[in-house]
Amino acid sequence: MSAVLRALPAVFSLGLQQQLAYRWNYFLRSVFSALPLLVSWVFWGAVFRERATVGNYTLAGILTYYAVLLVVEAVCQPSDDDFQISREIREGMLNPILLRPLPYGLYRAALFAAGRSAYLLAALIPVSLSLFLVSRAMDLNLARLSLGYGAPALLGAALLQFSLTLCLSLCSFWLLDVSALIFLVYALEFLAGGHVFPLDLLPPPLFAVVRLLPFAYEYWFPAAALCGNLSEGAWKAGLCLQYGWAFFFLVLAHFLWKAGLRRFTAAGG
Amino acid sequence: MQLLRLWLLQLRYAATRELMFRANFFVWVAVELAWFVIQLAFLGVIYHHVEEVAGWRRNEMIVLVTTNQLVIQIFTAFLMPGLTKLPELVRTGKLDFVLVKPAPPAFLISTSHLEIGPLANGGIAVAMLVAAVGGLGLHPSWGEMAWYLALVFAGLLVHYAVLMTLVSLSFWIIQAESVLLGYYTLFQVARIPREAASGWFRVVFTFAIPLLLVANVPAATLIRGRQPGPTTLFLLSGLLAAVFSTAFFLFGLRRYQSASS
Repeated sequence: MSAVLRALPAVFSLGLQQQLAYRWNYFLRSVFSALPLLVSWVFWGAVFRERATVGNYTLAGILTYYAVLLVVEAVCQPSDDDFQISREIREGMLNPILLRPLPYGLYRAALFAAGRSAYLLAALIPVSLSLFLVSRAMDLNLARLSLGYGAPALLGAALLQFSLTLCLSLCSFWLLDVSALIFLVYALEFLAGGHVFPLDLLPPPLFAVVRLLPFAYEYWFPAAALCGNLSEGAWKAGLCLQYGWAFFFLVLAHFLWKAGLRRFTAAGG
Repeated sequence: MQLLRLWLLQLRYAATRELMFRANFFVWVAVELAWFVIQLAFLGVIYHHVEEVAGWRRNEMIVLVTTNQLVIQIFTAFLMPGLTKLPELVRTGKLDFVLVKPAPPAFLISTSHLEIGPLANGGIAVAMLVAAVGGLGLHPSWGEMAWYLALVFAGLLVHYAVLMTLVSLSFWIIQAESVLLGYYTLFQVARIPREAASGWFRVVFTFAIPLLLVANVPAATLIRGRQPGPTTLFLLSGLLAAVFSTAFFLFGLRRYQSASS
């Protein structure tokens, strides 16, 4: 066990080096990451032109939500992990990894953490700049931000996104190409996860259903927790559901891995 | 004329290749449809709370979004698959095989692939568009529809210019996969009503990168009749953008050093 723990920092470092090998690619990605906030600013600015509130949100409130969403994205959203895992399985590149005395899940978790750290670093400047620009134009609700509520929710969201990604990409043991499946789930995550709009803008019956799904805990819940939009009861219940879903997908990934390995054949490598 | 014949030949070859994977076709239709549904759901939520956004009512906004979807799907079917292959061609040196052919390389690259799935989604977008136009009580004449289609074609030119410029960065950047993300992010701007934008945002995305015109001008033409000012601006800026992107591609091509670059 201690050997495994000793290996993890090395894998993390390897992941960082992989991410930073193509700096321009990374830089461009982070620059483009700030644009959605500006688009939201323009669009929602028009929505709020003749009214002070939409649902429970003011313009400042909704822009704060989208700004915080950028941070949630940077911390939790996998970049290329799903396609990397799929490639490793499909092209038989698992062989050298299987020979190492390191559980595959932990190996991928260290790479995921490295990727998120690198991306967070790269996104820091454009995200801060767009936050600064928006906050000059209006008073964002930054004073209401709650790190105490937000940090556990962020950690849970990262765990949930990682475990869901793992499950999807492990389907490569059975399917030739999982990219369509991945993009289909992306679409669900964007809509039912609160990436396109805050979920509490949905009609109440629909919101009640969406809150039970795992997607809500990938974006909406951590963003709402960070924004300080949740009561203590809603936050606690949300955390239970979020970690529950993450645990479910981790267990599912474990069984998929075991079953998949029995099918896996590779020569050379 | 020779280029048109060449394009038709490339299309036939690409269609044969695409039809070898029929299941893939249906899966990708579902994926693209899901992303379109997201846009409509977003509108549904917004108009659940408000009557209009920047002077655009629900059905008018659906005309805007479906027009944008139509342009995207035509572009994704005919031009985008080829253009997105450029970074890989540059990285692996396979661009050599394109350069030795007796036709303009930008043309060969952009017309080399075809995706049939987006055409099906384009059809769905047209059906939604017809329903929204019907909902508005509009009865556009054949001339107006032809004009609308011409403007959709101009929108394709802007998409082409933006993506061509972005993928041409691969002559300088080794791994340029993020340019695709940039393309998708940039084109979120095209879904916004032009009246919603103001200040530098409106100036940049009207004159420098005319994304605010791509869906707005055709949609507004269909809803409110021909608009000479914005249409002229749109056609001119689209043309300029296409000329710039081709010049940028040729400038980048001068850096290309075959398989060793």
